[in-house]
Amino acid sequence: MFLPKDTQRQKISGVEIRTSNYEKYCVTDDNFGNRKFYGLIEESHSRFDVAVSGEAQTGLDICEEYTVNPYKYAFLKVQTKLTEAGENIKKYRSELDFESCLGAYEKALLVMNTLHNSFVYDSAATQIHETAENALALGRGVCQDYTHIMLSLLREEGIPARYVVGMMIGEGASHAWVEALCNGCWYGFDPTNNKLVNDEYIRVSCGRDSSDCSVIRGKFYGYVTQRQTETVTVEEKEG
Amino acid sequence: MQELIRHTKTINRLLARYGVKFGIYKNGEFNEQLFPFDPIPRIIENSEFQFLEKGLKQRVNALNCFLSDIYGEKRIVRDGVIPEEFIFSAKGFLPPCDGVVPPKGIFSHISGIDLVQSKDDNWYILEDNLRVPSGASYPMIARELQRRSAPDAFSSNSVIDNRNYAELLKEVMDYVNTGGINVILSPGRYNAAFFEHSYLAEKTGAVLTTGKEIVCENDRLYYIDYLGRKQRIGAVYRRISDEYLDPMTFYEESVIGIPHIFEAYKKGSVALLNAPGNGVADDKGIYYFVPKMIKYYLGEDAVLMNAPTYLPYYEDDMKYVLDNFDSLVIKDVAEAGGYGVVFGSSLTKEKKAEFIALLKSEPRRFIAQEVIDFYDLDILDPDGKQVPRKADLRAFVLAGGETKVWPSGLTRFSRNPDSFIVNSSQGGGFKDTWVLSR
Repeated sequence: MFLPKDTQRQKISGVEIRTSNYEKYCVTDDNFGNRKFYGLIEESHSRFDVAVSGEAQTGLDICEEYTVNPYKYAFLKVQTKLTEAGENIKKYRSELDFESCLGAYEKALLVMNTLHNSFVYDSAATQIHETAENALALGRGVCQDYTHIMLSLLREEGIPARYVVGMMIGEGASHAWVEALCNGCWYGFDPTNNKLVNDEYIRVSCGRDSSDCSVIRGKFYGYVTQRQTETVTVEEKEG
Repeated sequence: MQELIRHTKTINRLLARYGVKFGIYKNGEFNEQLFPFDPIPRIIENSEFQFLEKGLKQRVNALNCFLSDIYGEKRIVRDGVIPEEFIFSAKGFLPPCDGVVPPKGIFSHISGIDLVQSKDDNWYILEDNLRVPSGASYPMIARELQRRSAPDAFSSNSVIDNRNYAELLKEVMDYVNTGGINVILSPGRYNAAFFEHSYLAEKTGAVLTTGKEIVCENDRLYYIDYLGRKQRIGAVYRRISDEYLDPMTFYEESVIGIPHIFEAYKKGSVALLNAPGNGVADDKGIYYFVPKMIKYYLGEDAVLMNAPTYLPYYEDDMKYVLDNFDSLVIKDVAEAGGYGVVFGSSLTKEKKAEFIALLKSEPRRFIAQEVIDFYDLDILDPDGKQVPRKADLRAFVLAGGETKVWPSGLTRFSRNPDSFIVNSSQGGGFKDTWVLSR
């Protein structure tokens, strides 16, 4: 499970992890820049709960500088199975006026704006692992689909872009948006809300597409059906 | 020699009993086939072997340098020797491996380098296999059985003893071991190469396991034996491909992998042979750049040549490929095992036009090579007549404290007289490879 990390934009403090039947766990940083903790329960069990709480101070900056080896993030220019551009995305891209844009940042703004206004939010239209291409063909979907389509378009333009999972004030579930590398800085774009990422956003994890970032991932041996519920609560602190 | 030929049937019967088989997937169906053994050995003179040895060590050393560079600083891309498209969009480049330094810095511990000898006696590298190259066990057991039936044949012909493969392998495992036992991780007994897994475990003294007997706890790996006792693992010679190795990092649906093994590896508490992510170096597109790599990292000229290769990605090469289409063989870089190989001359007019259109739309996907007219080796046909077949050689190079070449190898030959494809996934058989001490 991912843990939010300090970035130029946010400061995380007082993180507490509570698990129902396991006390030991390990922490690691992955190569997308995420922190996660994990463990193993050898005994048989029918239920596992995990809760993470903490405080986030947000909106400390508008972007995150990146000045290290430019090839470190070259892989974020490459499409994945979920963002692969097919006929629909190529057609959509050809209708965007990238010519008039000055750089990557303006291109990203253009994509966010156009996509927000032409794509319909609909929580029943798409599946969990829907591809960007299919979602665009349907014309409707959720934040994940907005994000995948935008990633696909940016990568077609040769702009390194990554999928971000996080939380927003007022939402009962996790949210997803895009970060694009523009002029040596990572900027956050939320095509679902047509907003630049600001102090309303808490960042948890990032990766190539949604499959790298699902907040929790697990594996068990046994012949049972599993059910998973996830709740996100974000409250604003006074002062 | 007559003695060896006389026992062919017995040896093949014994090989079948030992389970020396090869699994083949065709049209979604899995079939096991025997891997027929031919008694006439390929003979390599000592001086020739020394030349091969020099070239193979050099190649594998450069490939190891390349892997540690690509998952580290990426100097070779920065310096413009290899265009970034060939690295980051390669299927074998695994972003989770970026920045990970394997124990002792070795990525490709066991490399299977495929070579052919042309009719003008030159050796050419056909491809590098740096992920999970298989096949060493076949010549090992064939030699073992032959020694029983014709013990004199080997000493009287001054053949170098090749029974040291297990020793070489154990040396490498021990060298990178981080403290604990050595295990061989197999997908299980239905895997095509299960014979090899069990044979190598037996010969090296490593424990043969499947993912179910291994757990990762507090970033350490443990083998759980039949009594439930836990033993720390220091090195895993894994015979599972990267995608299936760890469901928490790679392919989520994998049931043969071990959750969090990648974390233990990343933190340096266990060695994986070979390192995950090696696929970026044995990609057919990268093959073209290996001689440049040797120059770049080692400052030497390549001892062993590549087959003359063209990258349609470069304009000049594309032009050459289109002009000489009929004399070339075109390979899809994403395919392996003899699939996705097209001989320009074999296409009909329509197919050719279709293929050229595809080539032009996705130039990065293909490489083109001159067809090498390689050396025929005689095999014994079912009637006992000697007939020629195309054959290649897979040399095994082991990199531990130093890089060593096994003085033997897997010689494979094509099933049909007119076929150039010797890959065992396409049928065909194998021979013993004699390296002479004189």
